[in-house]
Amino acid sequence: MTLTVERATNVGPPAADVLLDVRDLRTYFHVMDGLVKAVDGVSFTIKRGETLGIVGESGCGKSVTSLSIMRLLDIPPGEIASGEIWLDGQDLLTLSPEEMREVRGNDVAMIFQEPMTSLNPVFTVGDQITEAVVQHTRMSKKEAWNKAIESLRLVGISNPERRVKQYPHELSGGMRQRVMIAMALSCDPKLLIADEPTTALDVTIQAQILELIRKIQDETDSALMLITHDLGVVAEMVEDVAVMYAGRIVERGTVEDVLVRPKHPYTEGLLTSIPSKGMRGSRLNVIKGTVPNPFNMPKGCNFAPRCPYRFEPCGAYDPRIEDAHPPDVACWLYTPAPGQTSAPRQSGPERQAGPMTTGAPT
Amino acid sequence: MSKFIIRRALGLIPLLFGIVIISFVLMKAAPGGPAQQFQRNPRVTQTQIDEWLKRWCLSADASPAAAVKEFAGWFGIYNCNTESIFSEKGGLNFLPSSLGGGGNGIIHGDFGYSIDAGRPVLEMITERMPATLMLTSIALILWVSIAILLGVVAAIKRYSFFDQAVTFFSYVFYSLPIFWLGLMMIFLFAVTLRILPPQGIVTPRAWPPFNTDVYWAAFGRNPIGAIIDIGRHLILPVTVLVLANVAGDSRFVRASMLDALNQDFVRTARAKGLPNRTVVMKHAFRNAMLPVVTNVALEIPFLFSGAIVTETIFSWTGMGLLFIDGVGARDYFLLMGILLITSAIIVIFNLVADVVYAVVDPRIRYD
Amino acid sequence: MAETMRPAETTELGVGPLVPPQLPLAGEEDFEIQLESLNQWQLAWRRFKRHRLALIGSVAFGLIVLIAIVAPILWPYDVTDIPGAKTYGGDAPGLAPLSRLFGTDFGGRSVLQQVLVGARISVEVGVFTMLIAASLGVAVGSIAGYFGGMIDGFLMRFVDLLLAIPFLFVILVAARFFGGGDVVTLILIFGLLSWPGLARLVRAMFLSLREMDFVQAARAVGVSDLRIAFRHILPNALGPIVVSATLIMANAIVLEAFVSFLNFGIRATDVSWGNALSNSQGYLLNGNWWWPFFPGMAIAISVISVNFMGDGLRDALDPRARE
Repeated sequence: MTLTVERATNVGPPAADVLLDVRDLRTYFHVMDGLVKAVDGVSFTIKRGETLGIVGESGCGKSVTSLSIMRLLDIPPGEIASGEIWLDGQDLLTLSPEEMREVRGNDVAMIFQEPMTSLNPVFTVGDQITEAVVQHTRMSKKEAWNKAIESLRLVGISNPERRVKQYPHELSGGMRQRVMIAMALSCDPKLLIADEPTTALDVTIQAQILELIRKIQDETDSALMLITHDLGVVAEMVEDVAVMYAGRIVERGTVEDVLVRPKHPYTEGLLTSIPSKGMRGSRLNVIKGTVPNPFNMPKGCNFAPRCPYRFEPCGAYDPRIEDAHPPDVACWLYTPAPGQTSAPRQSGPERQAGPMTTGAPT
Repeated sequence: MSKFIIRRALGLIPLLFGIVIISFVLMKAAPGGPAQQFQRNPRVTQTQIDEWLKRWCLSADASPAAAVKEFAGWFGIYNCNTESIFSEKGGLNFLPSSLGGGGNGIIHGDFGYSIDAGRPVLEMITERMPATLMLTSIALILWVSIAILLGVVAAIKRYSFFDQAVTFFSYVFYSLPIFWLGLMMIFLFAVTLRILPPQGIVTPRAWPPFNTDVYWAAFGRNPIGAIIDIGRHLILPVTVLVLANVAGDSRFVRASMLDALNQDFVRTARAKGLPNRTVVMKHAFRNAMLPVVTNVALEIPFLFSGAIVTETIFSWTGMGLLFIDGVGARDYFLLMGILLITSAIIVIFNLVADVVYAVVDPRIRYD
Repeated sequence: MAETMRPAETTELGVGPLVPPQLPLAGEEDFEIQLESLNQWQLAWRRFKRHRLALIGSVAFGLIVLIAIVAPILWPYDVTDIPGAKTYGGDAPGLAPLSRLFGTDFGGRSVLQQVLVGARISVEVGVFTMLIAASLGVAVGSIAGYFGGMIDGFLMRFVDLLLAIPFLFVILVAARFFGGGDVVTLILIFGLLSWPGLARLVRAMFLSLREMDFVQAARAVGVSDLRIAFRHILPNALGPIVVSATLIMANAIVLEAFVSFLNFGIRATDVSWGNALSNSQGYLLNGNWWWPFFPGMAIAISVISVNFMGDGLRDALDPRARE
């Protein structure tokens, strides 16, 4: 009975076609009541020009993952306890603060959730875009200003010559998010991280902004890491998806696999908790219980207390996605638990055509 | 912009009028009328008293009608000589004298006569004003700059030794009564160490009294010596004012700066790869200063209160000390004059703060 | 809860006899987390206890209040009772070994005794001024903020007016013209002039809280105006109000000392810290630093302990504050 399963340990930089390689990232927060393991051993890769969606409830660690990649966490109370973040051949966690600053905004750019508060109210839109350009390129102020106008035009803002001189409060929410995108694109980043880019916007604007991000991602060849709680957005926007729960990735795969044949009970729960037309009249399925208390994580599988399929090993042993073959799900239903010879299931239950499948990438 | 200023300025007129009424009510409510008070001063002759009483429609009559007449005369709408709202020249009395109006009342700059000194109040105030303005403006500039410096550094180096030291001293100086602090500093630096003069604006005997013609003549002969002399006298009162006010304001700046540093746009600025200095000093600082501007404007009244306290302790012959002397002598006209003028200055500073705020915060629309 | 699913005896490594746990049927169990439920005041007290400075401040102020109550009874002090005079009654009984701890003043009287007995007037002025100003401020502010419209416009213009006149100027004029040297008048003057800032604060809190969903909800189910104001809005505004009230108290203590120091306050025959400072001022240049030093320190300590208390109360009474 072996408890430690051999894990494929990568050493050195990843293959050249891999843009971002996050390996066993652990980000902790030291707070008054103890230690919160916000990200607890997360690994994933994004190839050049590809798209990855990270899905999960609020508090699952998806935003902390992105802030760890940008190294934008406040330290203390935050701490990147271990792991490697390889971007374009260099491990970001080994860079000096100055070197990291060169990466930020230049190689990786980020779009935040709150366009209303993410722009500085006392500077014009143009000032805020040119600032980044001047910082990372050799452009003069004048050239950078023109670049700002150009990127505003690129994100579909009409009359950019006038808009560039305006202050954020003079723009609508959707317009501000376009400005954020223009700002992120202004230095042609290799990786674009969008953290819930549409959550704060009106439903009608959401589609426009997503469409814009997808268009831009197509046109430039930057990779996209999209963080969202909305499975509909994932289905529309990305090729690969990783589902996070309580600081871990619990399932990953292509959008088709994960959304049509979810393996992990949590993913399944997420999918069945979305109302659809066919379900009218029946009760909406909800995932019982709440996200575990970070100071009192359940023993064994983190999801076990809420899981409808839990069985003996779930309360005792902690399933790791790395232990699965192939490593696409962290669940004892699919991987033989210690002391067991076989796993109860081989593949995920096929879902009936629900809202997600109709919205799958076309 | 000018429209905005004019609109705001017009809005202040009712406020100023309210202050005038409150001052008058205070004066009327005080026991023992001005007539009685004038008689206390042996230097003032009965003819003068009669003349003054007539000029401001002061009478022993306590009827409401008399009070209204008195107020109108004191304010300058009513002419007490012609006993009508018209002046001797026939024009409406509240108009400027050059346009046929009268010369009495505060709207004509006539604040009455000091009971104690028998001199025009306005003359006495303007004589004392420079000393107070010198003291308070130097203190204000120093205290605001020091508070901003300490507050910003404390916020950036939050929880550091420096931050905790600033917090500790803020608490101490915020709680020490400043008049007591002044006394102790006089004892330490003037009595024990004998390195600074204990009181006054200029060294008596070496220099004539400050802001007199003789003084300015002496000043012209030896400007450097005069400035050094005043400078030495300024150190203690300015230090007391600065210490007392930096305490609270550095906490305010620190809180405001911390608030700004926690804003989303600061994270955006960092995500752009800007150097830390740009993020802090441009993005956070500019936003943190917005509430500080308002706060400083709101503190202008306390500046005058502070001047009263420091001027008393350090025998600084400015308006504050004039006011204290006036309170002691129950010098109504003098007190009301000072009250009105300082209130007007405060109100004007609030307007200035409004305008400055509108300039620094693009979110405020002023067109 | 989670406990039920754990194998009965598992070691650190998770190895142990695998006892089939009793699994409840999926969906049957309710996973609500049991939170210790404490009411607002219990939570506030808990947070207050954690604020070390606030505790120190409260203990110190408690002691000062105690001194203010007992000192004038135990060691009655009479300014005319000067050593050497025929009527001199000797050192205050019970205080004798310590009576010269802070030195003696120009009349040979114990400075310590003056400091102890003087606490009464400062505490009286502080506490009662605060009570008057806080009641007025809360009343005016909540009326203006809750009803809005004309009432608000009128009340706030009046508040603006009072705030535009330099506070200390009016205090001094009023103390000189209407004071007459007794504590009650002084408290009335301070109290009646100290409330406008608090009223403005309360109004602002009401204006923002009035629009909050929980107030709208209360209104929707027909809760009366008065009940909404006192049960729903005021508790949420309590933190800033209390802090502001403690500031008023601290200010009043300093103000009394200053006004008395200028001889416009408490009559010279009463013992107050301000009077003690006033008497000593002329002698400072002779080097008698301890006359003003100890009364001044007494003022400073009272003020600092009140401020600490206010700080702790602000943190404790913030309903959004977490543990």
